[in-house]
Formats: sequence, C-alpha cells, structure tokens
Amino acid sequence: MAATATLWKKQMRKFLANPEEMFGLMIQPILWVVLFGAGMKSMLSPDTAGSEAPYVTFMLPGIVVLSALGGAIGGGSVWLTERLRGIVKGYLVAPIPRLSILMGHALSTLTKSMLQAVIILSVGVVLGARLNANPLGWLGGLLLVAGFGLGFSGIALSIASQTDNPGAYHAMIMVFNLPLLFLSNALYPLATMPTWMRIGSLLNPVTYTTDGLRQMMFRDPSALAGSDPLPLWLCWLVVLGFASLGTWLAYAAFKKSIK
Amino acid sequence: MNEGLHNGPAIEASGLVKRYGDEVVAVDGLDLSIPANRIYGLLGPNGAGKTTTISILTTLLEPTAGYARVLGLDVVKEAGDVRQRVGVTFQEMVLDDELTGRQVLDYHGRLYRIGRVERQARTEELLALVELVQAAERKAKTYSGGMKRRLELARALMTTPEVLFLDEPTLGLDPQTRARIWEYLHHLKEEGGMTLLLTTHQMDEAEELADTVGIIDRGKLVVEGTPQELIDEMGADTIHVIGDGERDAFVETVKRLPFVQTVEVGRTVIQIGVDSGSKRLAEIISEATGSAFVVEDITVSKPSLGDVFLKYTGRRLRHTDGNRTRHRMSLMG
Repeated sequence: MAATATLWKKQMRKFLANPEEMFGLMIQPILWVVLFGAGMKSMLSPDTAGSEAPYVTFMLPGIVVLSALGGAIGGGSVWLTERLRGIVKGYLVAPIPRLSILMGHALSTLTKSMLQAVIILSVGVVLGARLNANPLGWLGGLLLVAGFGLGFSGIALSIASQTDNPGAYHAMIMVFNLPLLFLSNALYPLATMPTWMRIGSLLNPVTYTTDGLRQMMFRDPSALAGSDPLPLWLCWLVVLGFASLGTWLAYAAFKKSIK
Repeated sequence: MNEGLHNGPAIEASGLVKRYGDEVVAVDGLDLSIPANRIYGLLGPNGAGKTTTISILTTLLEPTAGYARVLGLDVVKEAGDVRQRVGVTFQEMVLDDELTGRQVLDYHGRLYRIGRVERQARTEELLALVELVQAAERKAKTYSGGMKRRLELARALMTTPEVLFLDEPTLGLDPQTRARIWEYLHHLKEEGGMTLLLTTHQMDEAEELADTVGIIDRGKLVVEGTPQELIDEMGADTIHVIGDGERDAFVETVKRLPFVQTVEVGRTVIQIGVDSGSKRLAEIISEATGSAFVVEDITVSKPSLGDVFLKYTGRRLRHTDGNRTRHRMSLMG
C-alpha cells in the first residue's frame, strides 16, 4: 500500500529530524543494559544455577522486549498527539485506505523498536553475551520481537484512539506496563518464581517473546538459567496471536473513533 | 481537474441531520444547493453546526439522517471518490509542525498519489502563490499564524480540487493577512473555476467573499441570499437601541413612525431600520422619552449581516475567539 509507505516515511522523517528523540532512543537501552545488568549481576550470580553465562545474557532478551514495550507506548503517544492536533483529519480526508493510516504509524513505531533492539544486542555483545552463529536465529528473534511490538502497539493505539487527553492515555497504559514487565521471565527465571507468579507469567505474552528470543538468539543454552524453555512453537503461536489481537483492537477502536 | 462533467449543483444536501446520542443535535435538517463556480458562505456563531456540516460534506462524519452529494457523488457511499476531488482547510490547521513547509506539501501530494515531477512543480507553484518560498525550508512550527494559514491553504490546493471547503479560513489573523487570503480565494474562483464553501462567524468575511450567504443557527439554515439582498431588507441605516423600561410601548410607537422601515426586537437590542440614521436619531430618542423607555445605549450603522442575523434569530452574532464546545466531537472538532 503506497499510502502506508508514505505515512511510514513521514513518521521516520519526523523522527530523523528530531535529535532529542533519536538520542533518547539510543541511550535508553544502553543505560538499561549497563546499569541494570551491572547491578543485578553481582546480586544474582550465585543463584543462576551455576551457569557461566553472565546475567547480561539472561536478561538481554527481556530488555529487548521491554524496550519494544516502551516503543509501543511512545507510538501510541504520537498517535494521540496527531489525533488531538487534527493531523489525523488531514489523512482521513485523503483518498487512502483507512487501514493504511493506522499501519503507517504502527510500522514506524516498529521500525524504531527494531533499531533499539539492534542497539541493545550490540551493547550486549560488547558486554559479553554470545549470539547464535546462525543468522536465521537472530533474524527470527527480531521477527518475534516485531510481532510482540505490533501486538502491544495495537493495544496502545486502541487506547490512544479512545482517550482525549495525554494524562488519561498514560494512566491507562501504565496499568498494562507494570504487570507485563514484572509478571514475566524477563527479569528473573520462571523456576525461581512462586506459583502464583509463574501462572501469571504464563499468561503474559512478554514471557513467550522473551523465551523464544533467548532460544533463538543465544548460543549458550545455560543462558536459559536453569528453567525449562517453553516450546518454541508455542512462543511463536502466542506472539502471532498477540500481534493479531493488537491489530484488531487498534483497527476497531480507530473505526469507532471516526464515526 | 475535470474527470467527467457533472451537471447540477456542486454541493447539495437534503434534510441533513447529525445527532450525538439523545441530547446533542449539531445539524438539524439542513438543505443546500450550491451551483458550481460559486463562493458560498455559511455564516453563524460558534456552535451553530458549521464545522459539523463541513465534516459531513468532506466525508469525515456520517449523517444521522438525510443525504449530501458533492459533484453528484454521495458523501457516504462514494466517499473515496469525493475525497479524490475536494480540498479542505481546517479551523485548527492540520499541519505537521515538525516538517518543513515544503515537506508538508510534498507529503500531502504523495498521499494523493501525485507523481514526483508534478508534485515538485505544484509545490513550487503554490509556495510562490502563498508567498512562502523563503520560509519553505523551515519547520512549520516556526511559522507565524498567518503563515500557517497560508501553508494550510496551499496544502488544500496541492491536489487542484474542484471543490474547496474552508472552515474559518482567516480566524485569528490580522487585517492585512485576511485581505490577502480573501484575494487568493477570489482568484481561485475566477481563474480556477473552483467552487468554494467557507464557514465563518465573521460577517465582514461573509460580506466580502460570498456570492451567496447562508445563515446557520442551531443546526438549521435560517435564510439564504446574496449579501446585498439580505442587507437591503434591513433598510438604509440601522439604529440599535438598548434600554430599560416600557419596551413594548416604545416599540409600538416606533413602528408607527413613517420613516421606519423595519423593527426587530432581540433579547437586549432593538434594531430599527430607517432611511437615514443621523437624521432620525433625535426623533427616536424623543419617542423613547415619551414612552417611558430609558435609552442606555444607542448607535447608528450601515446594516450588516450581523443585523440580518439578529433579525432572523433574535440574537447577536457575537464575535467570540474560537471557544469551541468539545463534547464527543473530539476527533471532528
């Protein structure tokens, strides 16, 4: 769809013209990895079941997924701003498919998330994480993250289509943000969780994305730190399901908002 | 620009209604029939339903009842075709601040699938037309209000629409910029053969621009005509009286005066159409004194569309500065 491409290009153009946003995008993930990793490493090393992989390797996938989460929130915020400023009206009056308006935005958010993911992984490698030698492995991993990003972008966009002020948007998004973050295996392995947390985590798409990412991207199996990996096909299934759900929610909310 | 001729009105609406829930009726049975190559001014106060009407005509909103057609195409069933052929400038100026002037026009052209060569040519042509060539490489957020309005106009013209809709095109602008924009709009109609529908609450804008004025109030079209026709109905001069006391007695006395052509009684203002304001002022005042009516304020003026509005709705066309009620019309404004 040409219109989707045009809107994607426009969002990317805005992004590239905005040095503050670019800076934030680069620095944030690096800070996450360095600060969080350094701190946790000393705390957890004895507990990670005698693995030699540094904690960095363990949590890197989680950080990638969480930054995709953050990116989706940011994308929803841009959408809300454009809605409130009336810019979306300009798109609606144009002879383009309604879906491409949404898609152009979602894809640009995804692109930024992928950029962040690459940066995070590069920093991780510098700090000692060992990637799978097979390029299909980490390309597949990125695809998984993209699927998750699309899913959460969908939720963010659907909320952004239904609120009228940024405060309400951020409040609602926070409701999702924290449980998704902590009720998952992004920061600590499933095996070490109490039962209720483990159940919660198994209902959380972040868990599946992170686990799938770990399996596909890292050479060192002990990066999985003592927990049984979730079946890869299940990870893919959950992520694809999540992506579809997100897209549907976003589109439904969008159509409703333009009545 | 011409993809097949359409005979018949460029814009028509019949029994247009837009209702939100059970309480809010923004448009309450509106009929329009605007021939091609005309400038039509929809004049009314804020909240009258002007923006909602334009939103429906430009396919942004679906009507609750009634139908509307632009260039013979139904705005609901043939929305895509309508969008291809109209241009819209919005009250809040839907420019992306982060882009440069040139980029705003370029991306807009791309959305309409205008080829690169033509796009570049049109962009330069329009930047020259609205005199923004020098500012073209700066981000739109650095532009003044007047410059943003001009860019907004250029944006709407990128696609050489057959019909141009303008929602409050000179809101908040200084007199010189307003005059310039009015000049462009006249030019578009004369040279470009365009049909223009503008909404405004400023009567001088309607008087200056419109071939035909439709006065809208509370979602309904109250009266329609050329500005001159409507004004001529009011008498040569208008005396406005505000006062306190035996109002009805005063009005009856005034009506019987030979030189009085019309009398309209609004909530606070009594509007008296006379043959010559300056000559008759003293008589009106003495009639007031005689009728136990204390005059608090009295002015003489040439009649305006504001006076026409008062005549037909009993209220003043007050000049407010864009305090729009936001209700559920969050996206549509």
